[in-house]
Amino acid sequence: MGRGGRRIAVALAVGAFAAAWAWAAHALWRSSVPAGLNPPHLHASRYFSASFLSRSSSFERFQDIDGLLATLTLLGVLSLYARRGHRLMGESAAGRIGTGMLLGMLGFALVWLAEFPFGLAAVWWQRRHHISHQGYVTWAIDSFLSLGASFLFVSLALLVAMGLAGVLRRWWWAVAAPAFVGLALLSTFLSIYLIPNVGPLRNRAIAADVAALARAEDVPGTKVVVQKVARYTTAPNAESVGFGPTRRVILWDTLLNGRFSRKQVDFVAAHELGHIAHHHQLKRVGWLALFLIPASALIALLTRRRGGLARPEAVPVALLVYVALQLAALPLWNVVSRREETEADWSALKATREPATGRALFERLATTSLDDPAPPAWSYVLYADHPTLMQRIAIVEAFARRPADYNPRSR
Amino acid sequence: MDAHPVRLILSDDLKRNRLTVFFRLLLAIPHFIWLAVWGVGALLVAVANWIATLIGGRSPRLLHIFLASYIKYATQFYGYFYLAANPYPPFDGRAGYPVDVTIEPPQSQRRWTVALRGILALPALLLFWTLAGSPGFGTRRRAGATSYTLYGGGLLHTVALVGWFASLARGMLSRGLRDAAAYALSYGAQVWAYVFLLTDRYPNSDPLLALPELPARDHPIGLAVRDDLRRSRLTVFFRLPLAFPHLVWLTLWAVLALIAAVANWLSTLLAGRSPAALQRFLTRFLRYSVHVYAFLYLTANPFPGFVGVPGSYPVEAVIAQRREQSRLKVAFRIVLALPALLIGSAYSTLMTSAAIVGWFAALATGRMPRGLRNASALALRYTAQTSAYLLLLGDAYPYSGPYSLAAPSTDPPAAEAAPALG
Repeated sequence: MGRGGRRIAVALAVGAFAAAWAWAAHALWRSSVPAGLNPPHLHASRYFSASFLSRSSSFERFQDIDGLLATLTLLGVLSLYARRGHRLMGESAAGRIGTGMLLGMLGFALVWLAEFPFGLAAVWWQRRHHISHQGYVTWAIDSFLSLGASFLFVSLALLVAMGLAGVLRRWWWAVAAPAFVGLALLSTFLSIYLIPNVGPLRNRAIAADVAALARAEDVPGTKVVVQKVARYTTAPNAESVGFGPTRRVILWDTLLNGRFSRKQVDFVAAHELGHIAHHHQLKRVGWLALFLIPASALIALLTRRRGGLARPEAVPVALLVYVALQLAALPLWNVVSRREETEADWSALKATREPATGRALFERLATTSLDDPAPPAWSYVLYADHPTLMQRIAIVEAFARRPADYNPRSR
Repeated sequence: MDAHPVRLILSDDLKRNRLTVFFRLLLAIPHFIWLAVWGVGALLVAVANWIATLIGGRSPRLLHIFLASYIKYATQFYGYFYLAANPYPPFDGRAGYPVDVTIEPPQSQRRWTVALRGILALPALLLFWTLAGSPGFGTRRRAGATSYTLYGGGLLHTVALVGWFASLARGMLSRGLRDAAAYALSYGAQVWAYVFLLTDRYPNSDPLLALPELPARDHPIGLAVRDDLRRSRLTVFFRLPLAFPHLVWLTLWAVLALIAAVANWLSTLLAGRSPAALQRFLTRFLRYSVHVYAFLYLTANPFPGFVGVPGSYPVEAVIAQRREQSRLKVAFRIVLALPALLIGSAYSTLMTSAAIVGWFAALATGRMPRGLRNASALALRYTAQTSAYLLLLGDAYPYSGPYSLAAPSTDPPAAEAAPALG
């Protein structure tokens, strides 16, 4: 095949891939939230006091700016590391892959060091606002030791990528990306076993409510558990993890300490069941696949100057490219995440038929977490993986105005 | 470098009287009382000595003699109590006891080290506690239930416990046990001389310099050390999390090694010789584990490989080729290994303390102090010998003291290992 023919073949392959990518993205983008919902535009001042709005805004701005500075530092450190990191190869007596692992881990280590002051500032800020009561030393030690988990993750990823690069050379990514997706799927499946301080829900009334809601949302038998976090934070939260037999709803114990009514806790559980009912865990793996395939190809392309990812000296460059791509994709990822959260809210509203509870819950969540109900646009784009509290309240109002979905008497 | 001003003198012949060994604890009671009385006096004199040295820059001669005599006496008594010597010791610390120390006359000292002596001595005291700390017994009440915990003592106590049984059985103490105890006593004397301001030379934890004379040994399991003491501050700071992937891999490998060890035990019991394939697999496993622990405990600098390639790491187990083994020793290997496991656990604690102190030292200076590296290497060598004994890679019993290496007959790839630490 001549050069022209090869170009056409490549263009066709890229076109086919782009079409498949678009089709998959479209499939994942589908949502059960009605398309023409048109939620009302609400003013935060109607729901929250001026002093709270000022306090929550100042609280979140500090965190946002702290996060932004940490991100810029991260990019700066990784850029420097991409240039000079290969000099640390002399600290390894391991072979090609082992040395690559060391360089990968050291990249994360340097990032940890550089981001440490920003993390410390965030802890200080949260303590000052009584959102966290974790001690500085405890935070620092936990943070240091959790590096071990990051190091394990990066080592495993590099073992797969560099191992494949040693065999497949330029085409390692074509096998590595599906392998990573497989690992992500496995990790999603097993995630409940990796979360610390999880125990059974002892409140029988709430457990019975959640069982009924699970039936209403068509995910009967979904287990609900409690994670003990009160030692570190006062912020309430919940999450859903796993799929199939490992699917669980996890309620933080900060949600069950009397600050929230039973109906409000039920609404939170219904929201998490909504994630499970709409397979959001699996959809996230799907989105990850859509990100990883082009990202791996790009890493393969950009590491060629260092001899490709088979060579350990290419690892610092690969780290920079991966993190930069991840950051670039973050706003898009947030869009996807917000869409899923909205779907879960909608699902909870349909299951509970309690818009008043939903409204009261979101107002309460704002005050207990100091969440800014209407953050500025840049913060929303960069950091908001949930709809703003005003958007969530607007969805509640929209639900209450749809008799087809909400009929309080029919309950 | 000049010899340390506090040096151990050994003239013990290893013979032990079974009767005095059996009653050693009770026989020591008068000495314990006398040591406590003298100790109170020494404490008061030490305070006076601190003030005088701070002012004069040198320990006053009379105070120096008093405190030096106390340290000599304590060393002699503990030498007796911990079975490093046989005869009943004198009560005045006079020279001539088989385990003794010599302490040089007062020298001028840097005043700032005198002023901060209590703080400067902390790392040495931590190591000393590891070497000679007392065993303990603790109770803890939680949720209405009482739990009991036995805290193992330092190396000195463990060696004495094992040595007590050995001396009763054989009427003599093995040189390895005696030298391990002597190492701890030597370091203890240097620590207390430093604390009491008899010298401002920091205690040297190097086991190769602790004894007046090192024996030469031809043990089939040795440790080759080609480390240059340089340490990367970055990898030192993150040493623990950096070792995580290795520890996970080592754990997975250990599961297979356990199965292989059982198979090896059965085969060696039948054939009197370990099968070549199993020997190779277990040798590689042991070599890899030494690489990992040498990295984790800062005995060496570079990040090790994951497969235990011979000659790939600056601190490496040198393992002799397989030999015929006594079937009787093979049959009872686990029972026979119990004393070694006990001593090995004390050495592991030493390795941890050396790593903690060495972590700070290496971060500050970019180098691992030689004494700490060699203490760690001694501990690593002992644990490697214990593991090899358990895995039936040889039937030579682990040697608990420091020694200079007479190069063992190694498996070919590791034969290039040159400078070695016993």
